Amino acid sequence: MSAARERSERPARRGKPEAVILFWVANQMLAIAAESVQEIRSTDGLAGAANEIEQEVVPKVRHILEWGRRTCYVVNAGSHFDLPVTRPTLVLILRRMRIAVLVDRIDRMTEIPAVYPLPQAFAGKERSWYRGLAYIDDSVIPVVEPSGFLSAEEFAALDRAIGPRSPQREMEGAAQA
Amino acid sequence: MIAGDDSGQNSFVLLRIGAHRFALSAALVAELAPPVKLHKFPHTSNSVSGVIIRRRRILPVYDAGSLLLGKEGGAQQFYLVARCAGEKKELSAIPVSGECEMATGQVQPADDGHPAYVAGRLVIGEDSVDVLNLEALIASAPAVGAEPIRAEAQP
Repeated sequence: MSAARERSERPARRGKPEAVILFWVANQMLAIAAESVQEIRSTDGLAGAANEIEQEVVPKVRHILEWGRRTCYVVNAGSHFDLPVTRPTLVLILRRMRIAVLVDRIDRMTEIPAVYPLPQAFAGKERSWYRGLAYIDDSVIPVVEPSGFLSAEEFAALDRAIGPRSPQREMEGAAQA
Repeated sequence: MIAGDDSGQNSFVLLRIGAHRFALSAALVAELAPPVKLHKFPHTSNSVSGVIIRRRRILPVYDAGSLLLGKEGGAQQFYLVARCAGEKKELSAIPVSGECEMATGQVQPADDGHPAYVAGRLVIGEDSVDVLNLEALIASAPAVGAEPIRAEAQP
């Protein structure tokens, strides 16, 4: 099918347009709502702010990040989505959450016309990973659910595992909502 | 091929998956779609291989070949778009070869010990073809895999 033909097949618009950041993890492009990202930093620039933590209950979290007045758990997105191992170079610090996310690179920021519901056929963890799907440049891109990076149970397990060093709890309500 | 809304219950679409022929009630079939891009992304639902865009909808693609024939599914180039009869009412696609045809005939009970996804045997002349119960076929796969499914888009 030609690109023009496929563009004419774009899904019927529902919902409202929103700005998203497109980013790469391994060989997969994903989208996240721009309003849910507070900052994007190079991992090199965070050397003094990140501290390794020793815990095995949530393997995708190996560091906590002290940034400004916040402390976040750093989630490796590749591990979260079980994508091939890469060397992340950027960290997305999420807004109103105790979560920072390691990713490979940013592709661009763009506006999507809508987020389409994930088909019911998808019944596994992806229902918490994704808010839905976006159709961008003839590709279907998952739009991640920011709160899906760490569940309430994972937050609790991490807090228990690292004890007094656990990140500030004032963000907990938003992160676990 | 687009099935009419008034397709009778005795009309079937015969489709080929791998080297095997199956029948699906024409009342459930929306269309035979041409080769389109299969979009893949990480997920954990074993029976789903990705999604396609068709008629301005995002449709899940069930890997019927693997479910029916194991790894023997073979290269399928077209998609049969159909609706499950049961709880999952959404339109879905299954990869098929382009060889589809309409048929009418009597449905006989399936043989003893038949898999749950065989709803019966469609008798056409001297031939008989297993009639698929798409919902049971999908249910026959573990709904959620232990390991996420890695994927890239395929043209």
